[in-house]
Amino acid sequence: MLMCRDLARIGSDYIDGQLGATDAISVKMHLLMCRDCRSFIGNLRESVRLIRGHSDYRMDEEYARQLDNAVDEALESRGRG
Amino acid sequence: MQTAQSIDESDLVSALKAGEQRAFHQAVRNYSPGMLAVARYYLDRSSAEDVVQETWVNVVEAIQKFEGRSGLKTWLHRIVANRCKNRLRTANREVSSEFGEELEPGIADRFQSGGRWATPPKLRFEEHAESLMENEALSDCLDKHLSALPEQQRSAVMLYEAHQHKAEDVCNILDISASNLRVLIHRARQKIYLMVEDFQETGEC
Ligand SMILES: [Zn+2]
Repeated sequence: MLMCRDLARIGSDYIDGQLGATDAISVKMHLLMCRDCRSFIGNLRESVRLIRGHSDYRMDEEYARQLDNAVDEALESRGRG
Repeated sequence: MQTAQSIDESDLVSALKAGEQRAFHQAVRNYSPGMLAVARYYLDRSSAEDVVQETWVNVVEAIQKFEGRSGLKTWLHRIVANRCKNRLRTANREVSSEFGEELEPGIADRFQSGGRWATPPKLRFEEHAESLMENEALSDCLDKHLSALPEQQRSAVMLYEAHQHKAEDVCNILDISASNLRVLIHRARQKIYLMVEDFQETGEC
């Protein structure tokens, strides 16, 4: 019998479709009966959506220009070489 | 999300091979954030920035050898990872590997000894989904929490979720097993889960 704690442990695999058929069915059964775990899975899904939609590492403009300059120099010496 | 996906990659690669400056500047802007995410897995911020810069200088020549067997992004990420590993080897340092438990302490503490919830989830995020995505304070908070994740968790989650690499590629780039990757991703997601829950409840980061 799958307990709530087990479900929290494998919830991430469940939402990614990484569980084997038997485990996936156990999770589905549990979710039918357990409102708290339904909330948990829903919230975990939402968290993943937030992470996916989040533009990470904002590169500061100064660093981007520094990279541009480094590339420009390399291009110049490639042109000469 | 990256805009890189919207441009035709083979056009970009041809322009890079031809040495077009504008193409390089565009590539720098599109790909460097992901490359930094990889480098930060191994190194501190300033060394990571150095490695990304060295990589671009190297790519000006090395792009001629790019055959398109993998995507450009994966190719760049592999170069970055290899350069980082070399640096660590020279410095005689190992990447520490802390994989361990699958449950974040903040979640593991919320169960009774029998395994049922003692402190169940209080809110359903999805009922607030729209406002969540548009909430600027939350987005800042997310930013803060993502950058505070342990290096390995952050790189894994960034490559897998934000940059949408396949699990196999992430394992390859970071040199970890599939099961280690799963643990890193589980833990990072749970941390963000706890952050969102806290934010929803208190309105504060
Ligand atoms: Zn439950």
